Amino acid sequence: MRRNQGCNHLDHHLARRQFLAGAAGAMGLGLLGSPATAEKIKGQHKRVLQIYLQGGVSQLESWDPKPGTEHGGPFRAIPTSVPGMHISELLPYTAKQMHLLSIVRSINLKTNDHRQGRLFMEKGRRAGEYPYVGSIASKYLAPANSELPGYIHISTRGLTDSTSAFLGAQHGQLKFEGVKPPKNLAVPKGLDETADARRVQLREQFNQQFRVGRPKSLTESFDASFQQAAKLMGRKELFEKAPDPKDLERYGKHDFGRNCLLARALLENNATCVKVTHHGYDSHAENFNFHLEQLGEFDKTFAMLVDDLHQRGLLESTLVMVYSEFGRTPKINVRYGRDHWGTAWSIALGGCGIQPGAIIGTTNEKGTAVADREVDAGHLFHTYLQALGIDSTNDHDIAGRSIPIGDPTAQPIKELLS
Amino acid sequence: MSLRSIPYLVACLALFVALPATAFSVEIPLHQQIDLLIGVGKAKFEKTASAPSDDATFLRRVTLDLTGTIPTSNEVRAFLGEKSTDKRTQLIDRLLVSPEHARRMQYVFDTMLMERRPDKHVPAVEWRNYLRTSFLNNKPWDVLVREILSVDGTDKKTRPAVKFLLDRELKSELVTRDLGRLFLGRDLECAQCHDHPNVNDYLQRHYHGLNAFLNRTYLYKDPKTKKTSIGEKAEGLVSFTSVFTKEEGKTAPRMLDLPEIVDPADAKADYKVKPAKNVRSVPVYSRRLQLANAMTHPTNIAFRQNIANRLWAMMMGRGFVEPLDMWHADNPPSHPKLLDLLTNELQKNGYNMRLILRELALSKTYQRSSQISAESEIAKEINFGVGQLKPLSPEQLAWSMMQATGLTAKTLKSLKTKQIKADPKNGAKKIEEPLWQEEALHGALNKNVTAFITTFGFVGAQSSRFDASADQALFLRNGPLVQSWLVPAGDNLTARLKKLKTSSEIAEELYLSVFSRLPEKTEAENVVAYLNDNQKKSQQALQQLVWAALSSDEFRFNH
Amino acid sequence: MNVNQSDTSDALVAKKPVVDYEAIDLEKTHQVSEFKHKFPLTSCRADPTGKYVVAGAQDLDIQVWDLQTKSNRTLKGHTSWVRSFDFSKDGSRLYSACWGGDIKVWNMTDTQPKPIMTIQAHTGSARWVRISPDQKKLATCGNDLLIKVWNVEDGKLLQTFKGHERHVYAVDFHPDGHHLVSQDLMGFIKIWDMKTGKQARSIDASVMTGYDNKFAADMGGARDLQFSPDGSELASAGITKVVNSFAGVQDPIIMLFDWKTGKEKAQLKPEKTFQGIAWGVRYHPDGFLIGAGANRSGKGELWFRKPGEKEFFHTMKLSTAARGLDLLSDGRHLVIAHSDGAVRVYRMTAEAKRPTKTKT
Repeated sequence: MRRNQGCNHLDHHLARRQFLAGAAGAMGLGLLGSPATAEKIKGQHKRVLQIYLQGGVSQLESWDPKPGTEHGGPFRAIPTSVPGMHISELLPYTAKQMHLLSIVRSINLKTNDHRQGRLFMEKGRRAGEYPYVGSIASKYLAPANSELPGYIHISTRGLTDSTSAFLGAQHGQLKFEGVKPPKNLAVPKGLDETADARRVQLREQFNQQFRVGRPKSLTESFDASFQQAAKLMGRKELFEKAPDPKDLERYGKHDFGRNCLLARALLENNATCVKVTHHGYDSHAENFNFHLEQLGEFDKTFAMLVDDLHQRGLLESTLVMVYSEFGRTPKINVRYGRDHWGTAWSIALGGCGIQPGAIIGTTNEKGTAVADREVDAGHLFHTYLQALGIDSTNDHDIAGRSIPIGDPTAQPIKELLS
Repeated sequence: MSLRSIPYLVACLALFVALPATAFSVEIPLHQQIDLLIGVGKAKFEKTASAPSDDATFLRRVTLDLTGTIPTSNEVRAFLGEKSTDKRTQLIDRLLVSPEHARRMQYVFDTMLMERRPDKHVPAVEWRNYLRTSFLNNKPWDVLVREILSVDGTDKKTRPAVKFLLDRELKSELVTRDLGRLFLGRDLECAQCHDHPNVNDYLQRHYHGLNAFLNRTYLYKDPKTKKTSIGEKAEGLVSFTSVFTKEEGKTAPRMLDLPEIVDPADAKADYKVKPAKNVRSVPVYSRRLQLANAMTHPTNIAFRQNIANRLWAMMMGRGFVEPLDMWHADNPPSHPKLLDLLTNELQKNGYNMRLILRELALSKTYQRSSQISAESEIAKEINFGVGQLKPLSPEQLAWSMMQATGLTAKTLKSLKTKQIKADPKNGAKKIEEPLWQEEALHGALNKNVTAFITTFGFVGAQSSRFDASADQALFLRNGPLVQSWLVPAGDNLTARLKKLKTSSEIAEELYLSVFSRLPEKTEAENVVAYLNDNQKKSQQALQQLVWAALSSDEFRFNH
Repeated sequence: MNVNQSDTSDALVAKKPVVDYEAIDLEKTHQVSEFKHKFPLTSCRADPTGKYVVAGAQDLDIQVWDLQTKSNRTLKGHTSWVRSFDFSKDGSRLYSACWGGDIKVWNMTDTQPKPIMTIQAHTGSARWVRISPDQKKLATCGNDLLIKVWNVEDGKLLQTFKGHERHVYAVDFHPDGHHLVSQDLMGFIKIWDMKTGKQARSIDASVMTGYDNKFAADMGGARDLQFSPDGSELASAGITKVVNSFAGVQDPIIMLFDWKTGKEKAQLKPEKTFQGIAWGVRYHPDGFLIGAGANRSGKGELWFRKPGEKEFFHTMKLSTAARGLDLLSDGRHLVIAHSDGAVRVYRMTAEAKRPTKTKT
């Protein structure tokens, strides 16, 4: 039986006062009311850039190389722009940006399952219906007048995630299939702009009659989704615009390069959380050739993106996360592969609220266990949110429930916060 | 969906709604008792309560709640024209015995019990069919739950019922939690590791007491058939330690605070089938088999309260206890006496859910308008004095759109023609059977429903709150599926509108078909004005007129 | 089979320079000796004089075993895994390429060889090294997408060939000494004219690559490359039919190309149930072809094909993955680098009927 693993429950805190407000909340007022826990961010709008290396990038081929050791693999370590910090030679461009980033090398998730690892990394909880980091960012950081949805996920293939839990569908991820804009963005065939405007106006006319003498909250939610849809349709050119050839040259002409260029454009246009998934790290066979290929794509593109955000003054307000669902086994299998490994692996963080150039935690000499400062996704979750100025020890205040934002049994990595 | 022939209805009614004599003997009918209790002790109740809904609103509301779709324009016309004073009662009785009602209940209970999880071991098709057949026969709730909790998945006939346990893979953090949430109205998850920190009534022994029913079970995969079923061992105890107080506890299976169900003294790890490799072990004494009995045992009042609360929420849009699975002393039911009434009634009538739904639908409370008059005050708390807006479920939305646009009628017509061709001898008779019609339509149009579920439904815990996202709006606004239903074809709505001569006739047919009511004068004028602006009755103008009505607030909610 | 042969079959090293073709019986190929290292091996090579076998492993060292005395020497100096070797004709020089990008030259006549020259050949892995037929040049390829030609004496860069757009997996000299051939991840085989310093032509080996839809990545490349002794044919070993490369689900393949026309002559594949990678290919002086590979579950196979045939006529199962293959100069023995850390020597004749003293 599992015990003592932190309470996973979303109804952990249920204060009586919430039930009085709950009546209204159930009608939906809670959705549009001002979030009790939202830190009203002054000045620049805070953002999140998530680069998700799907399948589980090998820590040994990226952030925690162990060259020349039993499980070290063929690649060597190279120095970075931070004195004393070495990363894998597969990341030469990123190495030059490490003064903007930090590494956590001591993650132990205690799971080797793709789904469990992914959900833990995104929700900060091992189980239960909780919102993803992106949905939380959308809820608490997105400006009221935002022209883009709060949480956009650019990915070339479909992993269907239910990301917003109790925060509501408008904070769920909007999926972009690569640089293809969301589905149904174009007005139906045969309708011109005038006719489209006319039918929307007509819909509004129908609504006015219905609203008389009825509480507004539900219909407002529904209409807000239409307004958001209209805004997306209005930004169609942002998604459809061909990237600048010079940018493409720097980022790479592959999907990941194009997706990251779109991510940059979205962040510059005040998107709140943009997640880009880079596929293909689940290398049970030919780990080294695949990491060469995949990190070869990732490295330059990511380095260019971080550099651009920095140059354009966005990095200060943008939390950058490079993460997976787990790492890969130190032991190399008979197919030159590495298998699933949640026991001792790494991620990189940077930007908004993160102390740059730091290395948190260590693994042992062979990389088979965490040696120092063990953390799990619960700690990381608090860290992301506190870096963004969201008090993760506070509660979500949703329709009669007070739900702790982060797992109450975990804490942020304080020394990583700037 | 057309109305059924009367003789058939009467027969069904006699069969399925055979009410226990006690329910109506000397007592005031249940629905009247509900109305008496709803405002008791609330000084301002009458001031804030709304008027009864008009016939058209009632027809739409109850058709949606009981059969999962809106009525056809012909049904609206017929109902408005009907003169008898008990026409609402007649309607309710008609709907409750329709195959569409069983389908609606299947949707509601499938969503409630499986929460749109992806399939694991038992195909959803079989499970849903099992649910629907159960509702067609008005299977009592306790019987249904006993089946769901006692089958082990080895018998092909009863296998669909094991989906609840098997698709949760017997994982205690899922099964134990959901037993508490879905059958007892109590989410005990926090009490897994310690007594609930904020909810005084949720104790660790409650969670582990439930857990103890299943702690000896395991998933067994038959090496030949590759089918998974439930195996059980004869040993294994549940003990727990609080992560806070380090207090230790032990428990045998138990329902909340009811006595522990101690293993019989002579049950010493004896097996009917002993555990071995590739063998599904069966103990002599099964803790798991105690679960179904303990759950549905008359002493387990939480089981009745939970279903009473859920049926109330289904009809009224909100439970007495809300969230539906957070029942405890600090979150008491808003109307305890009324809840007791329903709870007792369930016991008295043998968990006859159809009867409860009937009484709820008959109540004034259910039939109140969702619109308050200019003189009324808006109540500070929800007191059930005003009808709630209920967002249509993905299934309701899909079927209602297909009904409104005339796709349902058009499809049924062609299905009938096909059937007669395929079966010249009996086809003509067959196609008049309501069950055949419902099943044929479901088979033909289910793909569309799935598209709506993909966009509007979501996997995981249910939510009674309303959500709307941009991709949903884009689906409605520009998606090819809804657009395809707007193209005139056969007798569908746009085709019918096209044939009408005057704009005011168009307005009337539109309102009857989409909003299930007649337009008010200004509303008809608005439609006329729109059509005049848009080259009279150009096809595109008509299509978008229908679209605007379909995607409006009024259509999106059951009001 | 030849009766005389069985009496002499146990000598690992042929005393006579002339191969006794009569004795070979491929279907009776059997293991005759084994040399163990503690790390999984990545590659192997037998020296042309038949004295040594060398192997690279999942560590930084090169293992050298004396085939007769079975003594072991360890060559230290590389900074990464060694996955390609070549020997000078007389066996006195060993050239090794490592994934750190370095080429090292070793004097094998030393008792404890140290690198006598190190060429920092490539940025990123140096995947392949070959010496020219005239023994004057080395050709290498690397992850910088370049093919480079070096002066073997002083390590000076003589030529650079640029043109591959994806990682280059292998390079070799054509026996005419004037052409180089190289193959990349995407199955582009390029033929370079060393006189003009330009690409002369190309061969399509795109069968040997695949895009893994699920993981959105390419998989392919030559895992071994060899010309037939007369230079009329090129053999390339690798993979085809990528289904799920990340789990190793794809088929091994050995492709043969006509050198003059560049046309494909054969696609040789093992049985369908053997999914994995073909890691080695060798032309036997007698004309037949030998292949070796590994499957997903870590088993190996040896494949034999008679000249002109479309399929392997014989397959020998190996208990562990074969990751490298070479032929001994006697033409009777094969060496294989295995994933369990062993180099095993296999003899392509019938087993000796009675044990003899010289049996290894």
